[in-house]
Amino acid sequence: MDDAKRRVDELRRASTEVENHLIDELAAGKISRREFVRRGTVLGLSLPALSFIAAACGGDDDDGEASPTGGTDTSGADPVQGGTLRTALITPAGALDPLTVGDEGGLAVLGQSGEYLAWSDDELVLQPRIAESWSPNDDGSVWTFAIRQGVTFHDGTPLTAEDVVATIEYHLGNESNALSALGGVLSAGNTELVDETTVQFTLDAPNGNFPYLLSSDNYNLIVLPKTFTGDWESTFIGTGPWTLETYTPEVGVTYVRNPDYWDTGRIPLADRSEVKFYEDEQARVIALQGGEVDVVSNFSVAGGGALLGNPEFTVIELQAAQHRVVHMRVDMEPFTDKRVRQAMALALDRQALVDGLFDGKADLGNDSPFAPVFPSTDPSVAQREQDVEQAKQLLQAAGKGGGFTVTLESWQGFEIPDLAVLIQNAAEAIGVTVELQITDDGAYYGDFTYGGSRWLDSPFGITDWGHRGVPNVFLTSALGTEGPWNAPHFKNAGFDKLVADYVAAFDLDSQRAVAGQIQELLLDETPAIIPYFYFHLAATKNVEGVEPTGMGHFDLTRAGFVS
Amino acid sequence: MGRFLLRRIGLALVTLWLLSVIVFVACEVMPGDVARSILGPTAAPETVAALNEELGTDRSVAVRYGDWISGVVRGDLGESYAFRRPVDEMIGQALWNSAKLALLAFVLVVPLGILGGVVAALYEGRAADRAISVGGLSVSAIPEFVWAVAAILVFGIWLDVLPVTAQAPPGSGVLTQIEYLLLPALCLVLVLFGYLARMARAGTVEALDADYTRTAVLKGLPRRTVIRRHVLRNALLPTIAVVATQTGYLIGGLVAIELVFNYPGVGRLLVRAADQKDFPLLEGTVLVIGVVYLLATLLADLAYAYLNPRVRFGGAAA
Repeated sequence: MDDAKRRVDELRRASTEVENHLIDELAAGKISRREFVRRGTVLGLSLPALSFIAAACGGDDDDGEASPTGGTDTSGADPVQGGTLRTALITPAGALDPLTVGDEGGLAVLGQSGEYLAWSDDELVLQPRIAESWSPNDDGSVWTFAIRQGVTFHDGTPLTAEDVVATIEYHLGNESNALSALGGVLSAGNTELVDETTVQFTLDAPNGNFPYLLSSDNYNLIVLPKTFTGDWESTFIGTGPWTLETYTPEVGVTYVRNPDYWDTGRIPLADRSEVKFYEDEQARVIALQGGEVDVVSNFSVAGGGALLGNPEFTVIELQAAQHRVVHMRVDMEPFTDKRVRQAMALALDRQALVDGLFDGKADLGNDSPFAPVFPSTDPSVAQREQDVEQAKQLLQAAGKGGGFTVTLESWQGFEIPDLAVLIQNAAEAIGVTVELQITDDGAYYGDFTYGGSRWLDSPFGITDWGHRGVPNVFLTSALGTEGPWNAPHFKNAGFDKLVADYVAAFDLDSQRAVAGQIQELLLDETPAIIPYFYFHLAATKNVEGVEPTGMGHFDLTRAGFVS
Repeated sequence: MGRFLLRRIGLALVTLWLLSVIVFVACEVMPGDVARSILGPTAAPETVAALNEELGTDRSVAVRYGDWISGVVRGDLGESYAFRRPVDEMIGQALWNSAKLALLAFVLVVPLGILGGVVAALYEGRAADRAISVGGLSVSAIPEFVWAVAAILVFGIWLDVLPVTAQAPPGSGVLTQIEYLLLPALCLVLVLFGYLARMARAGTVEALDADYTRTAVLKGLPRRTVIRRHVLRNALLPTIAVVATQTGYLIGGLVAIELVFNYPGVGRLLVRAADQKDFPLLEGTVLVIGVVYLLATLLADLAYAYLNPRVRFGGAAA
């Protein structure tokens, strides 16, 4: 043990102030080992060092979350080498172009042959990939990434730090979809080649979660050769464990194992991988049942009920941050009084929603984007429970004791129409009449700008939000005063200040402290009801070792058949 | 005959042009934004603007329509907004897939339907007639996607004798492709059989009642010969009309079947194009479906005329 202590001290001396703070948090028992590893990877500490410190400091192994087990499934036998894995994936929505991909099908394909600087895994831990390590300066405004050597693109060209700089600048210079996360964080021209193996990013403002924005969470950013000019579809060029064999638009992609892959521990077990496109969820589920595929990368409780509880299939459940936002416009009647908004939120029985809509496969939401899956979420903030009496009193106090009528708008997708009806029923119990206006997504989202979108203009609406590795976009874009998607038109200087502090913070303790304040503020103001965060579900048949992520990527390198 | 064809082609061109205008107007009225639908709801506004500019979707309606129609006149259907691929290439593949499925469905249902109709007519009012007429109608009344799910459950999953998707692996032979297409084709047979059999039955009943049949019977021809030479030929006429009108449905209308069986046909392409406001793809697909429909009815009219000399071409009809 003395030996271990001495080594921890050595590591401490070699670490920055922020890193040491993290080690203190672990030693003081403020964070669990899992969270320590998660935060440590963001700060760029290496995994072996982290495990060593965690073991020496004796962090609690179990952080007590009643969460589904992530990723690797341990139920069956070990997967065997060889064979062809067949995966059902939703058909990509457009051309497979790293600049424009913005849908689950497209991003999952990018992640098969392409690789990111880091991989945000099923527990939101960053795994180093093209970047070997990274570290911030003291305030988190400058981040330095060490680029891995000995990596080659599928055409045999060695990858260098120059390719990384070129990739980032290519996205920043071409109005890429990656800007939805990088906009306002990293500007064009601020990615610098320090030397052959080092890249430095100078940010527009300090950001404690910056590595997530360059990881697989920002799915457009697969590292491309510096000579890349477009037409990714013809080559699927990347450095990943799978290389393109054939691509048939709208039908699927076949890959073969990349025998020269740099990480010998992740050279695929299977010889080949066939990713088949299915537009319809029912068709994907049927394909697994009928033996046309071995893996379904994503399905819903509503559409894939046949796969649940059937021992033939292995279902992988991942806690995720995907959720629904029921916004209430704070600048429009009937929701200008926060007591009315609180009353609406109190009318809902969230556990009943989660059980009814997701068969229990979701976390309860507490009317803030801080999902239980995020390590920075403050779990001590009390969960809002259904309280019809209090809701009625609040309406009375707000002068709306006689009830009112309001139209709830949304679109026909996922479980949204069912949720709308359940909200309608709950509102009735407190004397509020909710009329439903459920259209299609085009009509609801309109042109996605204020004045041209029911999503952003309606007083009361339901919007679907996908998974993110960190809650930043949910906070800044969807609730911030200057946010482009602030559907509740929530303008609160105190909130904006807290969010800025949260974004800049990079030790978990201070992140969580700010998060707690944001959570309390949102509970009090209730610009939106966030009733649940539902799990990501994948299923396999006779195959083990598939590792999906909440974002929709799936790693097949360690997947193989079991007999 | 020549004048007839010319007039039909002229009318067809006008119809197609009108169709293109309607689709275009619909596209403009439909809510949504092309670049948004490609990039997803959380794309940054400047990214959306940049893509709209690149695609040309920021230009005015008239400019885009002019651009498109001048391309079509030169035989260029343009490039899909979402997929950045030539529209003709995309439609060509989908059309070929749809044609294969339609052909198999027809090959199965036409003989079955005619046989059923003739048998029903010969036993008019008796048990066999009722079984075929009522049974066929009931089966047709159930939508094809219900049959699709039922067929998949029974043959694809419980009995596990047929594939659950319609798309054969690349490079498969004809027999394998038929094996994959059998389940969707079967669903279409169920939907089309009742209609076809009723039409064939009506034609046969009428023919059996006609003077020329009575003459043939009276002059001592054997019953079998009467039916083959005089009745069948007339019973075929209405089925030609059915086949022609159903071609349009089979090419472009099978959205549910194509989705459930994951078959990349024209119907799926059409819905996807409409969903994404992919204007060149939508216009191209609608035009192609229009052409198929017009061609099918034209061929049906010609076949009708060939089989029924009472129909005359050139305006002074029948």
